[in-house]
Formats: sequence, structure tokens, C-alpha cells
Amino acid sequence: MEMLLMGACLSMFGLAVACLAFGAATRETRGTDAGAPALEKAVAKAAAVAPARFFVDAPALPMAARSKVPIEALLLQLENHVRLEHAAAECFLESPNASLLHSRTTSAFLN
Amino acid sequence: MNADLLQGLDRSEAESVLSLGKRMVLTSGAELFHLGDVAESIYLVARGRLRLTLPIEVRSREEDVMVEERSSGQTVGWSALIPPYRFTLTATAPLETEVIALPREGLHDYFAAHPATGYAVSVNLASIIGNRLQLFQAMWLREIQRMVELRCA
Repeated sequence: MEMLLMGACLSMFGLAVACLAFGAATRETRGTDAGAPALEKAVAKAAAVAPARFFVDAPALPMAARSKVPIEALLLQLENHVRLEHAAAECFLESPNASLLHSRTTSAFLN
Repeated sequence: MNADLLQGLDRSEAESVLSLGKRMVLTSGAELFHLGDVAESIYLVARGRLRLTLPIEVRSREEDVMVEERSSGQTVGWSALIPPYRFTLTATAPLETEVIALPREGLHDYFAAHPATGYAVSVNLASIIGNRLQLFQAMWLREIQRMVELRCA
């Protein structure tokens, strides 16, 4: 009889532990499910942004490339850039308007 | 010589002003003045060319980068007439270049005795300085615009 009662108690305890574990597991799953759309959105956003930055990010690649450019070539680019900017500024002064002031440059120093 | 500083002066007046100066020939690569030097004379380029440069740090090295070029007939070194009389750029001749150095003291004395000439030269000087200001203002604004575009990208 004692053995039977002990067995029953252990079974009840085991069942309670199993229920608690199941509840906890289910709650965790539900929580994850609720957070999933946000996380997925964030991942999708990062995925959308990251490749674009990796392949297209203009400042990153030229900077890396520029570090390999000999300093003399860089200075020539800079000088050419100054000449182009000077010419653009002169054009603006001849006929001052916003579009001439902010006209695009073909300077290799920036492109 | 058709100098921008002497525009509007009649021939004899212009020659009188030029006679105050001293002709100097710079060999290729020679420096006419250096950034921070005391500016005693203003220069008219008679022939050749002058590069005006400013120091810029490139890869931890100081490099003189050209910001403007002046050629025959143009004026360089107006800091000699504007306090605190210090050059704010460095001028170098990239090829053999001849300049006329007009000393500040000589010009002041001459203009005191000939105010009409002094007035005409002052107007020309204002125009030269104003042109530089407008050019660099436009260049600076273009740079600011690019910075704004980078920030908002």
C-alpha cells in the first residue's frame, strides 16, 4: 500500500513537472511567435540594406580604393578637382542661379 | 601691361604706379612668398604663372594643394595692403615668371599725393578681393551641399 501511494505521489509529481515544463515550453514558443514578425522584419530590412551597402556604398569602396592610389595621383586628382570647382564657381558668378551653384561635378576625386 | 589692379587709370598714371615697383624674375619652382610671411609688397604678374597653394594633410603628410592660379595681368598678394599684412597663401612659380613687386609704403605715399589714383586702385583692389570672396563662397557652398547630400543619403 505504501509502495502504491509512493508510486502515485511520484507519478503526480512527475505529471506536475511535465505540465510545468510543457507550459513553459508552450509560453516560450508563443512569445517567440509573437516576436517573430518584428524580428523577421528587422532581418529582412537588414538583408535589404546590407547587400546594398556592401556592393553599392559609395564612400566605402572609393576610400578603400583610394588608399591604394599613389599620393602623387591623389594630389593630381585633388588639383583637378579644385580647377573644376573653380570653373563651376566662375560659371555660377557669370549667371547666378541655384542649379548652376549645385551643378554636378565629373571630378574623379569625388566619383 | 594690362593689369587688373590698374584698370581705369590712364597710361601715364598706370606707368607712374608701375614705376614704384621692382621687376623680379622667378625661376621655375621658385617661391614668391610663403603662408604667414609678412606681406610688404603686392605683385602684378607680368608674364608666366603663379600657383597659390594651401597646406593640406594627406595621409599624415602635409602637402601644398593648389587653390588658385594667377597669370599675366593679374594681381597676387593683396595681403600687403590689408591688415594684418600677412600672406594667407603660398605663391610658387610653376614656370619662369616675371612679376612687378609694388611696395606697400611706396603705394601709400603715392596715393596720399594722388588720391584719385589711390581711389581707382582701391576700387580695383576691392573688385579683385570681392571676386575671390564670391568664388570661394560658391566653392564652399558646393562643398556644403555635397556634405548635406551625404548626410541625408
